[in-house]
Amino acid sequence: MTPDHAALQLWPVAASASAVEADELILAFTVLTLVLTVPVFIAITWFALRYREGSEADRSPSGIRSNLIEISWMLIPFLLTLVFFVWGARLFVDSKNPPPDAMVVEVIGRQWMWKFQHPTGQSEINNLHLPIGQPIKLRIISQDVIHALYLPAVRMQVAALPDRYTEMWFKADKVGTFHLYCSEYCGSDHSVMGGKLTLMNPGDYQDWLVHAGAQQGVVAAGRALYEAYGCASCHEPGSPVKAPSLAGLYGSRVALADGRNVVADDEWLRQKILNPNGDKLAGGGKQVMPSFAGRIPEDELNKIVDFIKAYPRPGQSAEATR
Amino acid sequence: MSASGTIEGAAHREPHAPEATIGRKPDYLHAESTLRSWFFTTDHKRIALLYLASITGFFVIGALAAGVVRLALVVPNGAIMTNDTYNKAFTIHGVVMVWFFLIPSIPATFGNFLIPLMIGAKDLAFPKLNLTSWYVFMTGALFTLVSVVLGGVDTGWTFYAPLSTAFSNTWVLPALIGVTIVGFSSILTGLNFVVTIHTMRAPGMTWFKLPIFVWTHYATSLIFLLATPVITTALILLIAERAFHVGVFDPAYGGDPVLFQHLFWFYSHPAVYIMVLPGMGVISEIVPAFARKKLFGYRFVAYASIGLASVTFFVWGHHMFINGQSDLASLVFSALSFAVAVPSAVKVYNWTATIHKGSLRLDTPMLYAMGYIGLFVLGGLTGLYLATLAINQHIHATYFVVAHFHYIMVGGTVLAFLGGLHFWWPKFTGRMYSEPWGRVSAILIFLGFNVTFFPQFILGYLGMPRRYATYPPEFQLLNVLSSAGATILAAGYIFPMLYLVYSLWFGRKAPANPWDAKGLEWETSSPPPTLNFVSPPEVPRIPYDYPIQATESKDQHR
Amino acid sequence: MSEGLAKGVGVARAHHFESVAQQREATTLGIWAWLITELLLFSALFLVALILRIQHPEATVAAARHLKFWIGAANTVVLICSSLTMSMAIEFSRMGWQRAMVRAMLATAALGTLFLVLKGYEYYADWDEHMMPFLSSRPFALEETPAARLFVNLYYVATMLHAVHLFTGITLLLGMTWMAAKAGFLSRHQNWIEIYGLYWHFIDLVWILAFPILYVVNRGT
Repeated sequence: MTPDHAALQLWPVAASASAVEADELILAFTVLTLVLTVPVFIAITWFALRYREGSEADRSPSGIRSNLIEISWMLIPFLLTLVFFVWGARLFVDSKNPPPDAMVVEVIGRQWMWKFQHPTGQSEINNLHLPIGQPIKLRIISQDVIHALYLPAVRMQVAALPDRYTEMWFKADKVGTFHLYCSEYCGSDHSVMGGKLTLMNPGDYQDWLVHAGAQQGVVAAGRALYEAYGCASCHEPGSPVKAPSLAGLYGSRVALADGRNVVADDEWLRQKILNPNGDKLAGGGKQVMPSFAGRIPEDELNKIVDFIKAYPRPGQSAEATR
Repeated sequence: MSASGTIEGAAHREPHAPEATIGRKPDYLHAESTLRSWFFTTDHKRIALLYLASITGFFVIGALAAGVVRLALVVPNGAIMTNDTYNKAFTIHGVVMVWFFLIPSIPATFGNFLIPLMIGAKDLAFPKLNLTSWYVFMTGALFTLVSVVLGGVDTGWTFYAPLSTAFSNTWVLPALIGVTIVGFSSILTGLNFVVTIHTMRAPGMTWFKLPIFVWTHYATSLIFLLATPVITTALILLIAERAFHVGVFDPAYGGDPVLFQHLFWFYSHPAVYIMVLPGMGVISEIVPAFARKKLFGYRFVAYASIGLASVTFFVWGHHMFINGQSDLASLVFSALSFAVAVPSAVKVYNWTATIHKGSLRLDTPMLYAMGYIGLFVLGGLTGLYLATLAINQHIHATYFVVAHFHYIMVGGTVLAFLGGLHFWWPKFTGRMYSEPWGRVSAILIFLGFNVTFFPQFILGYLGMPRRYATYPPEFQLLNVLSSAGATILAAGYIFPMLYLVYSLWFGRKAPANPWDAKGLEWETSSPPPTLNFVSPPEVPRIPYDYPIQATESKDQHR
Repeated sequence: MSEGLAKGVGVARAHHFESVAQQREATTLGIWAWLITELLLFSALFLVALILRIQHPEATVAAARHLKFWIGAANTVVLICSSLTMSMAIEFSRMGWQRAMVRAMLATAALGTLFLVLKGYEYYADWDEHMMPFLSSRPFALEETPAARLFVNLYYVATMLHAVHLFTGITLLLGMTWMAAKAGFLSRHQNWIEIYGLYWHFIDLVWILAFPILYVVNRGT
């Protein structure tokens, strides 16, 4: 929750199970920090008092083998901290592997606003509404400089890069309104590039979708772009240029001229549109498609990729995409 | 701390008391007094003072910019200045403090002055090159100051592409050129130190008789030599990108903006140790001198310096955990970053063990050293928080990072710089500073520092991103506290500037060895003669030959 | 190093060194340290070139086909010859043959200049073929493959940085030749020739690395 008064707040609200785990990790680490530092602080203060010049303290050599001491204070703190490396790494790996049923929200950063697009096509600027209890995957890209989407309530941030997708996923479990920031410095209005993350019950979210965005569906928007950019004139069945069919392409394995097989996922499709000369296809067809790098804005490119994703498999009705 | 003031003011005072002055020539400050003799000097001690005067100037500029930043953050809504002004202020603060104060601070001043003295040499190996490096440094500084005067830069000191290459409308090019040029000055200084330490040691001064100060400067110089060229290349490409749209970092042509971050941090993470290691050297000199005790674990501390300098080349990726780096790379960089804890722990525990059963005098340099140890421990361990992947995802690019590196850079390097400045002030100038004022300032700085930066750890964990001109109102209380601490810190900085300059004219004359410290630099007069030693110095049997010996391997016992 | 020197050839000790041997040791270590930093400077550029090659193989090959392979190859030979004449200059300096040394140094400078002239002609040919994508007024010949631009521009950054080093080298060499022609030079500063020789060989080495990395490996598919 974001309190709007100036009260002293000492712990941020955690809105997901993984956020609670991150909090436990940092609390445990803080305990270790105290264990490692407090003795040093006490020792320095105590020695400074006890062994000050002229005091009657015992200064005879203590006779401890120094190599043993050296090795123990090299290794013991290191091994203790390594526990936290392992713990942190485990949480990190979890945070990088979204479940397959995650709901995908497209995120586009640009100076100085965020654009979010829900799977049902509704989009919103700077604010993000999401349901709780459901894994959410944010697929993030930037249109200009490097940004970073930061959601403190779920203890996550990921950079928005201009040339490739990045991902963040979480499963929120707390209803409320939280901060949403850009955390990678991006120019003049960096500090106002953000808004509110609103987490809602699934039913409320459905209501919100109905009321907030009665815009056109994203796949239909993608189809319009597919035609507007001239993709259709080669890739539609029956066109004079025998361009590869897009039907059922998404998620299938594609054989390349160099013998490799790749899965046609979002990233690969995106790269192939931007740079058709890369990853030459098997089958010996001449590559004539022009590059679209710099010609299609990111949000439109996303819609085109979404359209390809939904492109009917052979035999299905083409109406499905209309 | 103006260098020319030193000579003019000191010129009319009487010659030194005739302790060991048979056939004595005037000391280096009085050898000649023309402006030319300062600006074209090849004496490492005078060049050190040229550097001291210049970096003090940059410290003031950087501190003023920090003041502007803290002023802006007193209110959450950015009512005091525009976002652009704020962005320029923190960029100037970062660029000036990192490139023009912290990196040259201890090496170019104390290192320049003390390395030849400590190893018993007459000068650095390449005196003219040493002077050249100061001119190169000032040329770079001039470019950067031009960009500030013309209207400033707003990219942050990290100059990330493509913001710095294609999107910023400020004076990025002169600032970039300035920083590139300053890199060459670092390379020349590092080269001079490496060659000097290898070839100019007095007869009998073997590697394991060298003070830790020399060891840490050797490690620092290796980083200067091996890492600086890479940032030079990265900056040359960035300049070419901004001026001619080369495209290497530009996604529009298939370039890779993250590549710049790799090249940048390949230098800039080792650069952290350029800033930290010399400070560790200073502390390793001060602690034994004021505990009257041999440094505990000398060899371990020496090896730890080289260890830090080595491991630092393999951890740059921990700056990019959230920047689309592969997960495997992140895991490896995270694990390697934890290894930095080992040599750091060696240093801290050995200093503490040196104090144990010592005979302590809590003079100003020792107060700074004890403050250093405490703050460095906190700064170092919070670094491990940031290296922990799951925590990093939350506090990366928040005020937690700001607090962490200020604990290392200010709590570490600046306190070591001030401690060393007080410790060797008698040697540099031949005058004693005011001890009561020194202690008051040291305590003020310690308190002011903690009030300024500790709240920033909390702000960071609460989720306040860094480089924010405006922020949500619930963070105001901690920000006001931080700004209040900054004013205490500012007072703590102003006092030393006043009483140290005062001491140049009115301070008590310093004896050759006011602290009864060990090390060859204390064997010669204060200030030393132009060629450092009147007669060749006698190298002691063991380093840190203080009255109280730590229990180490038996052969080093008295 | 001093054993191979003829009579009357040597080094005058500077005031802050204890002995000539120490001075020689320091200057040799110094130039090697400098060359290592210089090598790292270029290595970072070459590394970027190889990354480009991996990220955009086809565009890089398309761009590299426009490089003037034979000019690059000729320049490699020119620089290897110049290293030879520089080595001869060093050998003459050790033997105390001052006139021969000066002539060898002039020959080295001439070969270095020939390299720059050939390089300048190559740049002109590139300009003529619209292979200067950083010029906004002149359309790039490979406009349809944007990534080709990266490689071509990087080629200019790398070769120009090398040309700046070579130009500096020729200037220093001519200045030193002027001093070295005076009587008594070899008895005081023979080591300057040795140290400078290392720098010249280094410039040669950088080109010997640049030529395969830029011209050769990208020629095939």
